[in-house]
Amino acid sequence: MSAFERVTRRSLLRGGAVVLGSAMAAPLLSACGGGDQGGNPKELTFWNFYGPNPQSDAQSKWFTDLVAAWNADNDVKIKLHYLPVSEYLAGRALQTAFSAGQGPDIFLLSPGDFLRYHNGGVLTDLTPHLKPDQIADFADGALDTRKVDGKIYGLPMEREPLAVFYSVDAFEQAKLSEGDLPKTWEQLLDVAGKLTSKDRFGLLFETIPGYYQNFTWYPFMWMAGGSAVPENGGPGFDSPAVHNALKLWQDSITGKMSPRKPQGDGGNDTSANLGSGFVAMQQSGIWGVSQLAQNNKDFRYGVFPLPVPEGGTYTTAVGGWAFVANAKGANPEAAAKFIAWALGANDAEGIERGRQWNTVVKTNLPARTSVQEAAESAGAFDDPALKVFLDKVVPGSRGEPRYTPEVYKAVSDAIQAAQLGGADPAKAAADAAAKIGTFLKGYKGAAML
Amino acid sequence: MTTVADPGTAVRRPPGAAPPVWNRRRREALAGYAFVAPDLLGLMMFVGLPMVLSLGVSLFSADGFGGYTYVGLDNFRQMAEDTQLWQSVRVTLIYTLAFVPIGFVVSLGLALLVRDHFPGVGLVRTMFFLPHVISLVVVGIAWQFLLVDKQGAVATLLRPVGLGDTSFLGDPSLALGSLVAISIWFLMGYNMLILLGGLKDIPKEYEEAAGIDGATSWQKFRHVIWPLLRPTSFFVLVNSVVGSVTGLQAFDLVYVLTQGGPAGSTSSVVFYIYQQAFTFNNYGYAAALTTVVVGFLIAATGTMFGLTKGGRFDAG
Repeated sequence: MSAFERVTRRSLLRGGAVVLGSAMAAPLLSACGGGDQGGNPKELTFWNFYGPNPQSDAQSKWFTDLVAAWNADNDVKIKLHYLPVSEYLAGRALQTAFSAGQGPDIFLLSPGDFLRYHNGGVLTDLTPHLKPDQIADFADGALDTRKVDGKIYGLPMEREPLAVFYSVDAFEQAKLSEGDLPKTWEQLLDVAGKLTSKDRFGLLFETIPGYYQNFTWYPFMWMAGGSAVPENGGPGFDSPAVHNALKLWQDSITGKMSPRKPQGDGGNDTSANLGSGFVAMQQSGIWGVSQLAQNNKDFRYGVFPLPVPEGGTYTTAVGGWAFVANAKGANPEAAAKFIAWALGANDAEGIERGRQWNTVVKTNLPARTSVQEAAESAGAFDDPALKVFLDKVVPGSRGEPRYTPEVYKAVSDAIQAAQLGGADPAKAAADAAAKIGTFLKGYKGAAML
Repeated sequence: MTTVADPGTAVRRPPGAAPPVWNRRRREALAGYAFVAPDLLGLMMFVGLPMVLSLGVSLFSADGFGGYTYVGLDNFRQMAEDTQLWQSVRVTLIYTLAFVPIGFVVSLGLALLVRDHFPGVGLVRTMFFLPHVISLVVVGIAWQFLLVDKQGAVATLLRPVGLGDTSFLGDPSLALGSLVAISIWFLMGYNMLILLGGLKDIPKEYEEAAGIDGATSWQKFRHVIWPLLRPTSFFVLVNSVVGSVTGLQAFDLVYVLTQGGPAGSTSSVVFYIYQQAFTFNNYGYAAALTTVVVGFLIAATGTMFGLTKGGRFDAG
């Protein structure tokens, strides 16, 4: 062995030790530090899944126009950062950015993910930047899942309620009419069975595990009188109401009237499932109206509210994304001001901006009363499907719940086990209730709603 | 490598003189290090460093928002009581036990099929290899279309035999098997190529001699080809085991096709680790799981190497 080789190996080892030692020290240093995540206080980044997108569609333009209008009048500029919706929803990019200390200054957040970010201490209180009349303008319940201890941490862009879409042609082929639209769970399964044929399923409930599946199942749990976590002294997840809601979804699969695997992007994709003729009825959200209008122009369809169980009370879940500001960002104050202006301003320009977003470039229900009135005046809800959403679906609705990832996963496992795994709904619910109970004993974060 | 000095050109050193600092051996050593350096650097930066970093993070409770709390070995202790982890281990075990042997037999069969020259052999080899050049995500999407319930090509083909309602990706009893089949389809061409290389290295004369002695095709395979192919087979098997536990097919296909469902039936260990990190923000626990999986693979591969003498079995 030459002297050269010996020296080089030692040097290499020493060098390696220094590099690896530094790497080991990184989390230790972070443990002591914390604090803000850096960035440019004069140029804030806004991560979203709308724009500027490669298609430069109307929704993308709404975002770019919004930012251009802000940038024209303010010293602190906003820079949009677009992520494809699948990448954004998968959570990896956003979550990785935060864990690397590079979280965006402003981003979009759904109620289902609210507690993860709030309990992580990265959401800014927007309340100081909102006037009382601006707060009062938001529809009843629209802010509930974005509030903690009376402080508002996110402003919703929209309200997206769930209902059932149905194919008029499929109904006619099965010799069914509008009078046969199901009003109870029993009728729902009965009609689904009649609509099922050799190459078409009668009814689609989401089957892909995830936040979206939970979101679509919660209304059935609520209508039967159940809840995921104990509410108002109730029993929590292991209750007859939950068993019945799980059994409804299970029966649709075992009765072979529902697909085990939806097409396209899943249960939220009305074009790939209802519009393609794969299913005759599909539980989905108000966004389905614009999906079908864009991709299935000649498709004849209708909408009806979610059926109710015997003795139950009608409700549905209302989703929708919110703008939130990163408390550890470069300039949380300016980020909060931008959000309050973008979604809270109740001057003519702000109301028109909201109307455009909710009823021109998308089909939502507005989260603010002033925007809702402006949209109604402009005839935005003359479309029969949207009218059903406005008049019959939304009354009695409830906001998408905010649960921690641990509760979400326990519920998700129960739904999957009963719906697709053939498990006894009572046992699936009991297993989930035990996990939720154990978790709640040590939980110290914001209230679950 | 052996170097022989040319007596005609060798420089004779005066007695007592110190050897030159940059003699040929040292220059060769330097060149060797220079050639290895880019790989070594890459390996340290992108494999070694993250592994050590991961080991460090596994001792902390990391919330995903910059908060780290030292918890010692708690993350490792938690594994024993994590029933979902063991469910994922079970899924990965079944996947490995199905994918490795079946995939090997299929790849070996294909390699034997295209070993000898026949018209169009190049085209056939290319066709078998083709799936491997496609991105796994695209493979997943393509199979998703083929396996659509009721209306997909596979369902349509199976309808005449009464299996048109079979849901290959939505039935917990079939979903994992479907992933195994798709993985084999994706990797069979790659493994075929490696085994083909091994087969080409076996001198034809051995088989011809066995033939002259009256050996049947099976006897030739069993007593000539199989023993000589063992080092290549060993490489393919080790690669397949590692791939089935941590490879792309164990994550990408699950992510695209089933998201771990239906009812957790395809939630592999790597997918479970991903969920722990990116759904639950349990970065410390995810890092601990990664450490254990890597440790297990190193131990398993080391044992396989030791028992088989690096795949040569009889080398001594």
